[in-house]
Amino acid sequence: TCQRKYNFLMEEDEDVSFTQPSSSQLQRGLDRLTPAQVDRKVAEVVQFILIKDQKKVPIKRADIVKNVIKEYKNIYPEIIKRANMKFEKVFGFQLVEVDPKNHAYILVNKLEQNPRQPAVMSPGHPKTGLLFVILSVIFMKGGVVKEPVVWNTLKKLRVDQGEKHEEFGDVKKLVTEEFVRQRYLEYTRIPHTEPLEHEFRWGVRAEKEVDKMKMLEFVSQVHDQEPQTWTKQYKEAMAAKGGSSRS
Amino acid sequence: MSETRRRTNRGPLENPEAQRNGVAGHSGDTGDEDEDAPRAAGSSGMTEEDDDDPAERRQLRHQYRELINSVQQNREDILSPTNNKLTEVLEEANRLFVNVRQTREAALDAQFLVLATDLGKEKANQLHADGSAFDPSAYAEHLLSFMGLNRLEEAEDSDEEGASSGYLPQDAWRKLAKRAENCFRTTPSFHFMLGSFLAEPPPPRQRVERQRRAPVKEAKRIMPTQLKKMEESHQEATEKEVERILGYLQSYHTDDPTSPISYYEFVTDPTSFSRTVENIFHVSFLIRDGMAKIYQDRDKLPCIGTKDMSSPVPEGEAEGSSSRQQCVISISPRSWKEIIEVFGIKEPMISAPNSATFAGSQ
Repeated sequence: TCQRKYNFLMEEDEDVSFTQPSSSQLQRGLDRLTPAQVDRKVAEVVQFILIKDQKKVPIKRADIVKNVIKEYKNIYPEIIKRANMKFEKVFGFQLVEVDPKNHAYILVNKLEQNPRQPAVMSPGHPKTGLLFVILSVIFMKGGVVKEPVVWNTLKKLRVDQGEKHEEFGDVKKLVTEEFVRQRYLEYTRIPHTEPLEHEFRWGVRAEKEVDKMKMLEFVSQVHDQEPQTWTKQYKEAMAAKGGSSRS
Repeated sequence: MSETRRRTNRGPLENPEAQRNGVAGHSGDTGDEDEDAPRAAGSSGMTEEDDDDPAERRQLRHQYRELINSVQQNREDILSPTNNKLTEVLEEANRLFVNVRQTREAALDAQFLVLATDLGKEKANQLHADGSAFDPSAYAEHLLSFMGLNRLEEAEDSDEEGASSGYLPQDAWRKLAKRAENCFRTTPSFHFMLGSFLAEPPPPRQRVERQRRAPVKEAKRIMPTQLKKMEESHQEATEKEVERILGYLQSYHTDDPTSPISYYEFVTDPTSFSRTVENIFHVSFLIRDGMAKIYQDRDKLPCIGTKDMSSPVPEGEAEGSSSRQQCVISISPRSWKEIIEVFGIKEPMISAPNSATFAGSQ
């Protein structure tokens, strides 16, 4: 019931009333407020986003406006811009819009991880392991896999979508709903299939968060091979590496 | 497409041309199935009845569905570059196809073909890739090793079919997760550095307390009931005895209202010292409760009588139950014997509880 309430809160309020203020409106809005007022609003938005980020579910603009920004709506773009600067300068994060239609954001870590000091405090949440397996299979198979591929692989690891798993519980729900909601995976229907079939792809969050080269290195390690063995994937990982080291 | 395949695979069979014509003819007409019979008769030796037998048709469709299911389930296996399963499966379908007569079955065959070509395409893709093809099954096996699978000791079972037996240790997934975390650039989640007050300790404490309380409670419960029982039985027995003795006293008195009853004669049981002591004990209750009283007769010997006895009030005794005097009576086996001798007590006035004889007159 708690989860349902949470879901309900997340789904409410369509962003209908929000219109982007023009630059002149924006400037007028800023002029009417003191810098201290604006700063405080920015800080509130930052804190709001940090807490919402705990669940790793994209944060909706509508929620931010309704709960934090409120009457400062007319200077919303400025607030978001400053909030993002704070994220980058203070935390090394980036606020990324993952849903241009519904306007939702996720927080992404821009910092390279120091292998000796893991950024995440928790001691290896099992879900991460499960997610990693699925993402790595998809990556190694070229970016798209049919649903049975994932389940067959997991079954070998003693994870069965039909049974309640000791650590993961309802695995099917976890994979096709939670991971999808968090934007780690995409679970799409294949048209014209009878009976209905689905495919898995990487979600936006996975694209932003996962270091492909590191993933390939681990996959190679368990195979006792060199990463270059998989030429196509290696090329892809190198390309991704080049791209992400822009900051 | 089925036609082409049939042509290539039916080579060794007789009358391939006739069969092709037969199918073409079949698709044209709308239902006279008898025409199909001659087509098949020559090559596979089947009779007309087989074509119409719905059980056979059903069986065939069932076999097709099973084949399709099996291919879907074992997709990964078939794709593995290490075996020829795809070819085997195609051959199986060819065998089934020999018996296809109706559109329904042919449709199933077509469905299977779609599946098989899809797999064929994937296998071909594997060949195209430079370097090794990625095999999820093998990957899974390697992961199991990484996670620390404890393989059970058993005979060599290393064909591709068999999954590794054994059990994963408790922390298997955590171990994998720790290693995998490196690859994620997740933002650390917001949490209170010093923790919040939703701390964990309380639940264990409660449990411990409950556990501790339970045994104590039970122990206590047992004790009182036992004691109570004992007490009750003790009390009951005593009360019963006391009442019984009162009964004796009253009956003696009614028999002979005038003569007083000597206390010693009353309580002493010449056959048993312990009975005597018990009698003294029980009589003391009567006196305590005011049901009987002890007084001294002319010879200063103690006598016992009931409360409502019309007895001569001896000197020194006060009327009314308000005055209570206590004394301690002690008796030893020696004095008991002396009493028996002196008073010449032959029989007990109070019989033992088990013998239900209600002694009448003394």
